[in-house]
Amino acid sequence: MDTSSPSVFVNGALLRRFVGQKVRTVIQVMGSDMGSVVGKSTDDLQIFVRGSPPPSLTTYLEVIGIADSENSIRAEVWTNFGDSFDALNYNELCKLANGEFKHLFI
Amino acid sequence: MAANLTAGVVTKMLSGQVRSEMDMMPILQLTDLKMVLARIQGPNQNPEAGRERYRIALSDGTSTIEGIFNSPLNVLVKQGDIQVGTILRLTVFVCNEVQNKRLVLVSHVDVIAERLDTIGNVQMTRPNDPAQTSIDQRGGAVAVNTQRVGGFEQEQAIKNEMIGGRQSNDFNTGRFGAANSPQPQVSQRPAYGAASGSGFPETSPSARPYGSANAGYGSSRPEQTSPSTRPYGSSNAGYGSSRQEQTPPANRPYGSSNAGYGSSRQEQFRAPAPQTAYPRPVQSGYHQPQPPSMYGNSGPVARNEAPPRAIPISALNPYQGRWTIKVRVTSKGELRRFNSTRGDGKVFSFDLVDADGGEIRVTCFNEVVDQFFDQIVVGNVYLITKGSLKPARKEYNHLPNDYEIHLDNASTIQQCYEDDAAIPRNKFHFRNIGDVEQMESNSITDLIGIVSSISPTGTIMRKNGTEAQKRALQLKDMSGRSVEVTMWGNFCSAEGQRLQSLCDSGVFPVLAVKAGRISEFNGKQVSTIGSSQLFIEPDLPEARELREWYERVGRNAPCVSISREFSGAGRQEVRKFITEIKDEKLGTSEKPDWITVSATISFMKIENFCYTACPIMIGDRPCSKKVTNNGDGTWRCERCDKCSNDCDYRYILQLQLQDHTGVTWATAFQEAGEEIMGLPARDLYYIKNEDQDEEKFEGIIRSVTFTKFIFKLKIKEETYSDEQRVKATVVKAEKLNYSSDTRSMLQAMDKLRAEDANPESSNYRSDAFNSGIGTSGTRETLSVDARREFGLPAANQVGQNGNHYSSGAQRPLGGVTTCGLCGGSGHVSENCPTLMSEPQGQYMSGTPGRYTGGGMPRQRVGNY
Repeated sequence: MDTSSPSVFVNGALLRRFVGQKVRTVIQVMGSDMGSVVGKSTDDLQIFVRGSPPPSLTTYLEVIGIADSENSIRAEVWTNFGDSFDALNYNELCKLANGEFKHLFI
Repeated sequence: MAANLTAGVVTKMLSGQVRSEMDMMPILQLTDLKMVLARIQGPNQNPEAGRERYRIALSDGTSTIEGIFNSPLNVLVKQGDIQVGTILRLTVFVCNEVQNKRLVLVSHVDVIAERLDTIGNVQMTRPNDPAQTSIDQRGGAVAVNTQRVGGFEQEQAIKNEMIGGRQSNDFNTGRFGAANSPQPQVSQRPAYGAASGSGFPETSPSARPYGSANAGYGSSRPEQTSPSTRPYGSSNAGYGSSRQEQTPPANRPYGSSNAGYGSSRQEQFRAPAPQTAYPRPVQSGYHQPQPPSMYGNSGPVARNEAPPRAIPISALNPYQGRWTIKVRVTSKGELRRFNSTRGDGKVFSFDLVDADGGEIRVTCFNEVVDQFFDQIVVGNVYLITKGSLKPARKEYNHLPNDYEIHLDNASTIQQCYEDDAAIPRNKFHFRNIGDVEQMESNSITDLIGIVSSISPTGTIMRKNGTEAQKRALQLKDMSGRSVEVTMWGNFCSAEGQRLQSLCDSGVFPVLAVKAGRISEFNGKQVSTIGSSQLFIEPDLPEARELREWYERVGRNAPCVSISREFSGAGRQEVRKFITEIKDEKLGTSEKPDWITVSATISFMKIENFCYTACPIMIGDRPCSKKVTNNGDGTWRCERCDKCSNDCDYRYILQLQLQDHTGVTWATAFQEAGEEIMGLPARDLYYIKNEDQDEEKFEGIIRSVTFTKFIFKLKIKEETYSDEQRVKATVVKAEKLNYSSDTRSMLQAMDKLRAEDANPESSNYRSDAFNSGIGTSGTRETLSVDARREFGLPAANQVGQNGNHYSSGAQRPLGGVTTCGLCGGSGHVSENCPTLMSEPQGQYMSGTPGRYTGGGMPRQRVGNY
């Protein structure tokens, strides 16, 4: 496993804590154009993802990249997560991974 | 002119369709008018008014009905306003049946036209009928009484009529109102008041008890009480007949029970009764708080708009002829059809409550059903008149009343459009859940509690082959106990759905259960029955109290279920880790332990993954014992001692299961095997042995190994040739639903944290640890054991399986489980009710080392 460049699990609210760092999050795609995707984070905040998204997007999309600001990410990796995804669970995971069980995550 | 008459109404009056001005105010022509005399003796203040009555016949142009004018109309007749030929609108009247003949008692009329020739071609109804006499009787008390001496029936009929008139007519109440004053009759109806006063003293002493009972009963004897038959008059009033008269002492109980409107009144009557001078009971009657007793059925001075006087439900008894109760319908049963030796029929019943809190059930049969079924709406207030009281059949009727009402064609139900706030919407007799534990099964109780969880609806097959919907919920209350409440039928979709969505949205609703039946399956449970009612978030003080308790302490308070089985959706299967099977010595007790593990298949023995099974049906399922190939294309079954041309292939998979704690072996038989492999054993057998498509076969095996399932295991220690082995059998396997599994883990974590934050609930915490997720493991174990021992009635089994397989989480997440065998939802094929006991049977026959018996393949389970 490549641990040289860890990415932090974040939801919309946690993003601001990692501005400038590498993060990963899952968004529900709201709209997209050539250079960006607008999505809803698992805690219902709007997130702008810049970069070059894949040509077709499913409802849920995982992006890994650098947090630009408290609501935008410059994405390096785009992964379609399909149309059914348990956003609630993911959101809980983000909270746990940055809170109580932070020590378990790199 | 004929058009002015209400066409056809006489027929309706004669048939009982039109009974009073409530139904219709018909316009009729008076075709006959005859004065008759009621001879009443005594110090009558206005003798004439009391004596004279007019016998009448009324026509609607085609037929006539006979009747009488009540005395207040005498004036009109005397003035000449009413003559033969006069067109009248009957504004206050009542039609009653007397001696099988309907008579109309007219109390108030509007004169439409004074005198006209007879309209239409009128046919007299039964002109020479003996009822002619009865009219005379009605008018003239002498005739009545003399007749009655011989004819109990007649007398009864008349009495009924009189009582009926009193009870069902509006005008009664006018007098009741007045009756509270000391001399109501004098003021309102001087003649009768006096008549009654005078009549009673002359009654023979022996008849006195009846006289008093009679007074309590409330029929108005006075104008009938003539000197010649006065003893009758009085005894009669108390349901008397000549028999009573002759045996006075014996009759007293009868009289008293009969008095019946209210024991208090009756006592008052009886207290002075035996030796007091007669007028006194009558006097006391005047001072009764409930005075209906004293008033006659004969006409009032004017129509009173007040509703008929209602008696409390608690005062109803089988000895009353006529009564009116004012009640609210609390529940209404479904229309049921039955088939008995006397033919088909239909029945429905509904429950009533009145302002005094009395409750009673009403049952209607056959045509009475048609009459009233649509009229009865739960929550509405009605006046119900007349009907017979039958002893309540407690096996069907849980209400706290020894009687139930059977309505008949003569009964009337009239809706009160003005709601009477005094009548409760419902009457609850809430018991603590803790108390329910001590109550007998099959008894009926009301509960109120917080719904802590609810399962999805499951469908089960009834014994008679019909399907029934079932769903369970957990109800807890301030007693610190919880109970499983099972909803059946329509409750599942209506109230059940609402409860589900409330629970899903995080609100734990208050639920009041009216008339739930306690059953004793796996501890105590409460189930809905036909007359049960569920009230979600009821507006009751108990509900508010409960809510407050819940918000304050109840949410986190430890709660012990009195149901050993917890089959709500919140049902937490006893999730174990694999090493716990050994660590906790599972299976070593008398009964097997049933657990679930979330594990990966790490290895699978692929030789002998199935066996050839006997397809011969035994009862409704195949024998399934191993058959041996005779070599001639037939298969022989030892158990059936028969050969068949074909055989089944059934799984007997040996699996190694692994979780993060360890490894164990388990055996999966037919249904579980199919769940794991994803195709029938026969197909897999053919791929391997007929098609010899090794690649495809291995592909299938590879696709299954290293997949994660939730296995339900039966753990039991068995003895093979003096060696103890703990054997695990897969009774169900379900591919892990990561989403719901994650949710349940999150919940478990939340729970742990909540308990950490709330250290006083240490009990609870240990429970949670014990089960791995949140409920007591021991309880669960017991329940499963018990279920097995009871022979697994499909109902419970399915409810349970349906629930906990839907997700293993508090709420199902779309992971609807469907049965591959019967197509039903809520269970998997492994536990399909159609095959319910099979896994167990297989288990028995498939035990390693059992060489005799069914000839099952001798599979070793492996290294225990």
